[in-house]
Amino acid sequence: MLDKVKPKHYFERNDEPAYARLPLYDAPQKNRYGQSIDLAVEHPELTGKSLNINGDVSISEHPNRYKQHGFYFNADNCISCHACESACSEKNNLPPYLAYRAVGYVEGGSWPNYTRLNISMACNHCDNPVCLKGCPTRAYTKFAEYGAVLQDPDICFGCGYCTWVCPYNAPQLDMKKGHVHKCNMCVDRLEAGLKPACASACLAGALDFGVIETMPENRMQLQTQIPGFPTPAITHPNIRFQQTKSLPREMTRPDAIPLRYERDDQSGTGYRTKLRDMQRDKQWNLKKLLSSHENAHIAFTLSSQMVMGAFVMLFISQLFGLTTLSTIMNGNSKIPLLAGMLAVLGFGLIKLNLHLGKPLRFYRGFNNLRYSPVSREIAGVSLFFTGLAVYSLFNLIELPFASQLAMAGGYVALAGAVIGSWYMYKLYRIPARPFWNHWQTATAFWGGSLTLGAGLLTFISCVVTGPDANHHLIQAMALVALIGSGMEAAGHLFHGRDMVRQGGEGAASWYDQTTTYGYSYYLRNGLLTINLFALGALALAVPATTPNVVTGSLLLTSILATAIISRALFYVLVIPTTMPGAFFWRNRGFQEHARETGLADMPQTGVLPNH
Amino acid sequence: MLFGRSRKNPVKLADKPVVEWKYTTCGYCSTGCSIEVGLDQNGEAITSRGVGGADVNRGKLCLKGIFEHELFRSAGRGRAPLMRNHYFESFKEADWDTALDKTADEIKRIQSTYGRDAFAIVSTGQIMTEEFYTLGKLARGVLGTNNYDGNTTLCMASAVSGYKRSFGSDGPPGCYDDFEHTECLLAIGSNLPEQHPIIFWRLKQALEKRRFPVIVVDPRVTMFAQMADIHLPITPGTDVVLLNSLMYVILNEGLADRAYIEAHTSGYDEFVKVVQEYDPVTASRICGIDEDTIRNVARTYAKAGAAMTIWTMGINQSTHGSDGVVGINNLNLITGNIGKPGGTSLSITGQCNAMGTREWSSCSGLPGYRYLEKEQDRAEIAKFWGIDPEFFPKQRGLFQTDIFPAIETGQIKGLWIVATNPLTSMPNTPRIRKTLEKLEFLVVQDAYADTETNEYSHVYLPAAIWAEKEGCFTNTERRVNLIRNVIKPYAESKPDLWIFNQIAKRFEQGQLINFPATTEAVFDELRILSKGRMLDYSGMSYAKIEAQRGIQWPCTEGAEQGSLRLYTDGVFQHADGKAKLIPLPFIDNNERPDDEYPFWLNTGRVVEHFHTRTRTGKVGNLNKFSPTPYMEMNPDAAAELGIKHGSYARLTSRRGDAVVMVQLTQRIAPNSVFIPFHFHECVNRVSLGLLDPWSRQPAFKQSAVKISPVSDQTAAAVRNKAARTF
Repeated sequence: MLDKVKPKHYFERNDEPAYARLPLYDAPQKNRYGQSIDLAVEHPELTGKSLNINGDVSISEHPNRYKQHGFYFNADNCISCHACESACSEKNNLPPYLAYRAVGYVEGGSWPNYTRLNISMACNHCDNPVCLKGCPTRAYTKFAEYGAVLQDPDICFGCGYCTWVCPYNAPQLDMKKGHVHKCNMCVDRLEAGLKPACASACLAGALDFGVIETMPENRMQLQTQIPGFPTPAITHPNIRFQQTKSLPREMTRPDAIPLRYERDDQSGTGYRTKLRDMQRDKQWNLKKLLSSHENAHIAFTLSSQMVMGAFVMLFISQLFGLTTLSTIMNGNSKIPLLAGMLAVLGFGLIKLNLHLGKPLRFYRGFNNLRYSPVSREIAGVSLFFTGLAVYSLFNLIELPFASQLAMAGGYVALAGAVIGSWYMYKLYRIPARPFWNHWQTATAFWGGSLTLGAGLLTFISCVVTGPDANHHLIQAMALVALIGSGMEAAGHLFHGRDMVRQGGEGAASWYDQTTTYGYSYYLRNGLLTINLFALGALALAVPATTPNVVTGSLLLTSILATAIISRALFYVLVIPTTMPGAFFWRNRGFQEHARETGLADMPQTGVLPNH
Repeated sequence: MLFGRSRKNPVKLADKPVVEWKYTTCGYCSTGCSIEVGLDQNGEAITSRGVGGADVNRGKLCLKGIFEHELFRSAGRGRAPLMRNHYFESFKEADWDTALDKTADEIKRIQSTYGRDAFAIVSTGQIMTEEFYTLGKLARGVLGTNNYDGNTTLCMASAVSGYKRSFGSDGPPGCYDDFEHTECLLAIGSNLPEQHPIIFWRLKQALEKRRFPVIVVDPRVTMFAQMADIHLPITPGTDVVLLNSLMYVILNEGLADRAYIEAHTSGYDEFVKVVQEYDPVTASRICGIDEDTIRNVARTYAKAGAAMTIWTMGINQSTHGSDGVVGINNLNLITGNIGKPGGTSLSITGQCNAMGTREWSSCSGLPGYRYLEKEQDRAEIAKFWGIDPEFFPKQRGLFQTDIFPAIETGQIKGLWIVATNPLTSMPNTPRIRKTLEKLEFLVVQDAYADTETNEYSHVYLPAAIWAEKEGCFTNTERRVNLIRNVIKPYAESKPDLWIFNQIAKRFEQGQLINFPATTEAVFDELRILSKGRMLDYSGMSYAKIEAQRGIQWPCTEGAEQGSLRLYTDGVFQHADGKAKLIPLPFIDNNERPDDEYPFWLNTGRVVEHFHTRTRTGKVGNLNKFSPTPYMEMNPDAAAELGIKHGSYARLTSRRGDAVVMVQLTQRIAPNSVFIPFHFHECVNRVSLGLLDPWSRQPAFKQSAVKISPVSDQTAAAVRNKAARTF
């Protein structure tokens, strides 16, 4: 019955059923976005090479090897049996706490007229792979072979930026291993003429795989969207859907994300993502707020923005002869100031580096200057740090040309600050993260630079020479901080308004901000208001007043606390435009609960405990 | 590469260095999927896959099968025998001889002091057919206790009883191939996509080729109910009323198969009288399905050229479980839908070898569908085993669900539990806990030492699991399939067959009977004992079973293949060769919701777990999908009580209380809640489990509870966590 030829790979077999073999349907020349489906047309030089998978140098003869492939998901049929997810996890030896493919769902209606729509999702091997473009280390490659977007964990340094930019939650940051890994399209199976493990395992006629824009047998649609799936506009994902069965007007998701999906009566077919009031109580959650994985980013962004603000003000005042500020560099404050700036920036950089899964690979951060705002940010900040170091060094030593060299360092630092802060801002303008993707990120960052920079200059000067000696400086810096804080406040006002208006994930983040973190948020607003009044009083009072040590310290502390809470809220609140989870799996609410209660200490819970 | 690196790096993917694939059959549910386990050069099991050429699963596996190779090294396995004098002391490891001697001595002591029946055995649906037969030989032929039953009483007893009452014998008459031929499928109380995903896939494949109506009867809107053409959200516990009413319409509208009724059934007149009491108007007020829908379904079913009914626990686990099965059989008999392609009453069985225990374990009688009540059967078996037929009781003893009350009241003093976990699986577990405390001697034989029931044992015997042994399972469609030995038993654990043989050796009578050392030799006894009977194995051998990827009985000596269907000739196993049409009056004895306990409590399975999670709770990639128990509750009902999604709520019944995490969903009726039964110290703390009068199966799916919000969520979380040792 079976011919006894020993298969080459462990997953090959002589009695392979037909459903698991790659189909040979005719595909159009171009996909709906105008992209050529045959990837060899524009890149003939890429053909005829081995993928070199696990040392296998052979090359598949499959006629569609250079055509863009993709998943086909028939939402009418999915029963959420988890076979696809499990086949994937088994094939890739994945630990229980992460998965390349996950099934979530949305549901709606009223018993017994109830509908649940399951969605199985992995990587969509997009035409425009934002992960690839975002990755600072160039760990990603989009191959001409099958159009697969593959990520190489051996290159990755574990910053997790790809997990931020991907709208589909496809790349997985493995906190235990310290790097990202993701769906690899089972290119080894494809090379053997077989569909990926997930599609071969489907038990309901839901998940399939083939050349993009081709329809499996017995199917009727090639849609690009279903409710719960983020807009394909961001990345042109290579997935097509069927969803013909009528759905309720409103669908909700079982996880803790306060979102619902409402039929768009204008378009008649699509669904709009809207806020769902989960009846949450107002809470503080300060501890949770200040103990997230993103703490390193809080430290890095705040400290680098503080130092950039301080330095740029100082340097410009020197250039333009603004003596109120530039005179600091002539007095006793000079050394503490330079040392302070370097120390604060160094602290931020160390925090940033240590948060990487693989800190020793930090140097790879510059690998993708061509595409990645992260690479450019790192380059800019590094340039700034270098310039600042040169500037400081030659300001401290007496040498011929020292002042010229210091100025040169200063210009370099200025350029670094401009580039670094611009890309620091740009990297958060992620379409898949609406809460960040707003100009408020700019006002928060640059406003923060002014406020914190002014604070740093004032603090060091006053510590060295006392408040009374810095009377004018305090007034000038109060004005700068007033402008900075004012920018921030204005940003917050518009941001809040726009998030609520926008609906969707942004509004959901806003909802969390005013409920789960409600009191912390009010505290931030209160402090910010106090800061504004106090700074206003200092900056605009005629005649000028000078705060004593106590009130001055209080104000500086308040400014710093405002900045930290603000930035922590910024990170913890973001809700990506990602797929809905299930009640346990990929439910942020349950993951937090499992960590808090210790359920996560059992590895089979599938939640990695806090370390 | 189109983007990214200009220099191509080699692609590294997870690779599995399989040097050998071994053929087995899945050890979870009764679908009977063929699995190959891949071994590396050290003989460690590193991957599993469905067998491409196997008719049952055609290369597919559900998620449990996909990770089945992980069981061999899963947490909580028993390393060595354990012993202690009292359940409240700590265990000490023992060698096998000491543990077996102690067990045999205690059995002898209890039997000589209190009588043979004072020692009971509760077995399982999980071990191999050859092991079941051997345990039966030991229980019936050596120990001579009549209080011997399996946990199949919790799952398939009603199906067995219903088949016996209607057709004169157990044995599902249909097969998966019926999906390819049927013109109407009625599923009552079966959540096929969740409980039997591969059978669902077979159904789905048939539907891809050819549309036919699918009608699902289920109080919850399961995925199966959603994909059905007609969903009947029935009032819990009223299936018999619905079935009677369907038959009322069929009979009164002249849609019945008169010729079939005449030729192949008896009891028509008595049966019709009762059916006439259930006109659709009357029925609609009881079962909650409107008159028009009842008529529509009845007509659709009766007019189909071939129609089939499948069911699972929704029917079996109710106070009318056996009657529900008989009702389904009645429906198919009056429409001529038995024994023909696409026309059948197909019970979708629970455990991997529930069928094996039904056929060969002697729990309900003697091996090979023989009865203690029949003198000829007793004589045949006594002769074959070489013992005095008078050693056998002349009537079957207690069912599993009656054994526990008999312990409670002191008639039973010793108990042997094989591969089952009543401290989690039985209804009203607080009562089971108190019951187990009363035992003078409890021996637990299980692959896992952390099975909760082991809390009360005096001796624990570590058993080998699944393909650490060799033998056969029979699946839902009567397919006998083979488990090849894949890997050595873990640590000191031993195959169940070896354990039974060792116990037998320690009894005088056991030395008189032949207890073969290998399962293949035991299988020869099955072939001999089944020759010429309905469940004929005589044409099978291990090699032939493996080559055909399972063979459906009957497979007579010399036959190339097995048989797809039973009763194709319309001859049944009752003495007159006819099937019985049995009248089914309905008495509503359920604990219905009332003012004090206003919710129906429904229990059931989820796809990622099996039974009491002793296996699936250890496999992270399964357990992660529901690592802790939850309760489906209607959001409207929850809003009235102030209960939030994802919070813990308290569940109270006339038995006790439990805390459980709430999942709000409209899939469940406003007056019902649903909780998976897999979890220790959860739903079975409050369930009632009234017994079916025929099958003694508990009605897990119908009882009444009260639900209240929990103000101290932290304490509730602590309480829940404390019960989750795996």
